[in-house]
Amino acid sequence: MNVSTTNNPFCSVIPLSTPGIFAAKLLLPFGSALDPVGKRGAHDLLASLLSRGCGTFSNEAMADLVEGCGAGLRCDAHEDALTLSLRCTVDDADRLLPLLNAMVREPHLDQDQVDLERSLSIQAIQRQREDPFHLASLGWRQLAYGSGGYGHDPVGLEEDLQTIDRDDLVALAEQLPTGSCAFAVAGSLPPHFTSDLVAAAGFQDWPSALNQALPPSPGSDGAGITQTIQLQPMDTEQVVLMLGQAAVGHAHPDDLPLRLLQCHLGAGMSSLLFQRLREEHGVAYDVSAHFPALIGAAPFVLSASTASDRAGLTLKLLHEIWMELGTQLLCPEALALAKAKFIGQVAHGLQTCSQRAERSVQLQSMRLPEHHDQICIERLETLTAEDLNAAAQRWLSQPLLSLCGPASTLDTLSRQWQRP
Amino acid sequence: MELCHAVLTIPFSGPTLDTWTLPNGVHCVSASMPDAPLTCLDLWCRAGSSSEKAGEEGMAHFLEHMVFKGSAGLAPGAFDTAIEALGGSSNAATGFDDVHFHVLIPPERAEEALELLLELVLKPSLDADGFSTERDVVLEEIAQYADQPNEQVLQRLLSEGCGDHAYGRPILGTPSSLEAMDPEAMRRFHQRRYRGANCCLAIAGPSSDQLPAAVASSALMGLSPQMDPINSAAEVGVCPGRHEISLERLESSRLLMLWPAAPSREQGAVMGADLATTLLGEGRRSRLVHRLREELQIVENVSMDLSLLEQGSLITLEVICPEENLAVVEREIGNILREAADHPVSERELQRGVQLVSNGLRYALESTGQVSGLCASQQLWGRNQDLLAPLQLLQTWSAIELQTAIFPTLQPEQACVLIAR
Repeated sequence: MNVSTTNNPFCSVIPLSTPGIFAAKLLLPFGSALDPVGKRGAHDLLASLLSRGCGTFSNEAMADLVEGCGAGLRCDAHEDALTLSLRCTVDDADRLLPLLNAMVREPHLDQDQVDLERSLSIQAIQRQREDPFHLASLGWRQLAYGSGGYGHDPVGLEEDLQTIDRDDLVALAEQLPTGSCAFAVAGSLPPHFTSDLVAAAGFQDWPSALNQALPPSPGSDGAGITQTIQLQPMDTEQVVLMLGQAAVGHAHPDDLPLRLLQCHLGAGMSSLLFQRLREEHGVAYDVSAHFPALIGAAPFVLSASTASDRAGLTLKLLHEIWMELGTQLLCPEALALAKAKFIGQVAHGLQTCSQRAERSVQLQSMRLPEHHDQICIERLETLTAEDLNAAAQRWLSQPLLSLCGPASTLDTLSRQWQRP
Repeated sequence: MELCHAVLTIPFSGPTLDTWTLPNGVHCVSASMPDAPLTCLDLWCRAGSSSEKAGEEGMAHFLEHMVFKGSAGLAPGAFDTAIEALGGSSNAATGFDDVHFHVLIPPERAEEALELLLELVLKPSLDADGFSTERDVVLEEIAQYADQPNEQVLQRLLSEGCGDHAYGRPILGTPSSLEAMDPEAMRRFHQRRYRGANCCLAIAGPSSDQLPAAVASSALMGLSPQMDPINSAAEVGVCPGRHEISLERLESSRLLMLWPAAPSREQGAVMGADLATTLLGEGRRSRLVHRLREELQIVENVSMDLSLLEQGSLITLEVICPEENLAVVEREIGNILREAADHPVSERELQRGVQLVSNGLRYALESTGQVSGLCASQQLWGRNQDLLAPLQLLQTWSAIELQTAIFPTLQPEQACVLIAR
């Protein structure tokens, strides 16, 4: 990987052989965790507007250009960042790459487009209420993070979106180039990308990044949490159960032992959740252990959905599995399997140009070295079952439960949960 | 902008393919992808839900689950543990036409993984205890789908539109059809469908001399060469009509339309249908999105898809909008569809569609999992060609031909329409 060292954005070039295509990712360290008070959803709304007109291109001219090249161009808001993504052919590189710069430096944010995107976001939020998994997940966020930055879905809240106006978005947009931004291209690349990517992308005159610290951890240390269960009644066939805790950020030394526990619990069909819930008891179809890579204290969450009459058993199994993490040592075979899965996950996550570019900008934004994954693989050898156990005791001792399903079943589960 | 005169060129080719056939008819294909971090081994079989007979509804998919419960030589769970201990992963999927089982594995361990995969899929033990537990899992899968209004609406559209054809039935089956099954019936289904010429093995990843040799001495050689006499599968037709339903827990209304399109083997016609759906429904400048979401602002979302199928492809349109807009949305859609049949699209619009379709295929050749899937489905159904070959057929479609041959078949009168509120 070649790295050209301008100050901002930090640029990486990753050549790969492809059928003549490449992917570019530009990460701006302003995500939904930084939504202003009472304006939850502002960064996501801003993200959706960046491709609706910038520089010399109107909304329609931009869509004509991008779609006319058969390309993909979008901007998404996550908890920690906005990410601009471009995917196109080598032939169109010079026409399309400069759009990324214009989207950040000269977005139009036209009033009619703001109104349209806000209305689409509100409708999407309403529609997501159809999905019991989504509701359980919102409930869990609320429980674990409250009014903290990770406490809401990036798309935001209907009542907040109603109050967000163009001025709010202009203020947020002005900040965008001042953060420590990261840029990466991966795939079949024109030669001038490799020699001078900054010029090819038009990034010459970006301001120096403010020497900011990483944003304060939006997570929670458990203090201030008074409730341990959240109920979302819904007239469904199944109950969705989510059990978890806000743990650590991706750069924390305990990220790796917890990631091994995630592999042990949820990676593949040999995982503990799959074996115990699905193979031994047949109580669920989908089971998962979720632990995203975030800057702040990331959720470590187990989830399953099951029929009402088996929900009590499913909750009991999930809770037992959780409590074992800090009280029982993984046997040597299970530890070796978890390590093999971790190495496998690294390879699985770097298969496409987009994945390669995304991982590059993500590591950069977290101030982690570009070979971080390799360092972790080397560190695996030294990790013992006791290390995993100790990490679980530090971070996974007070799980929080979110449920969505029929009210009567939730009542029963709630009593089961609160029994000492 | 110089888009008007852009000419599609394909300077890059897809991965180099090597194809061969085993004496018992098993199709084999390998795609060379030198830089791939993982090799994909992908076994496909013509054993999707449309190969089920009466009383077997849901069996193709249930069998896909049962395969992972172990074989003569692999205890339950042993396959997953072995593959995952090598740093690999596995999964499977059942469709209307076919089913496939795949493994992603570091290239140097591919031979071991191949042996495990073939043992698992070709010699399932279908043990009675595992059968009953796994049926509970499939029942949970059905319940999970039932809780997703999106899935329910789509299934309802297929049931209304495809009538008695297999494409109208849920792939998962129903609780009562599953309750009625036993391991013996499943074994008969397996023996009937998992035969030589019904199967295709695709390998995508860094080239290997050992893998083809391993295939030649593998369990694939033991498959029966006899074909299951094909119950002359009728092509799917779509019954035009208009249906209105109300669904609890629906937060926004849906308007869906279903049309028949050419079967996968008629590749030229399929590319025309792909182009037409792209012009109508893909991207902000497509006709439906532009008019309904951008100009009139009366819908939240528009999506239009072409599902490639052997017994006749299907085109679906799904529009999500507030209930009070349904009537005007339906009228506008009718106008847009008629306009497309009345006047040819502009050259510029045509080029936009061609670029979107052709780049879509190129983007689909990035990972070994995608490439093996494309290779296998082509070989399995008798299409031996370069993966980018269909792009040449795109060039044959002019604006006039689309106007006269495709758009007149995508009118409201020919559609099965479902309104859900």
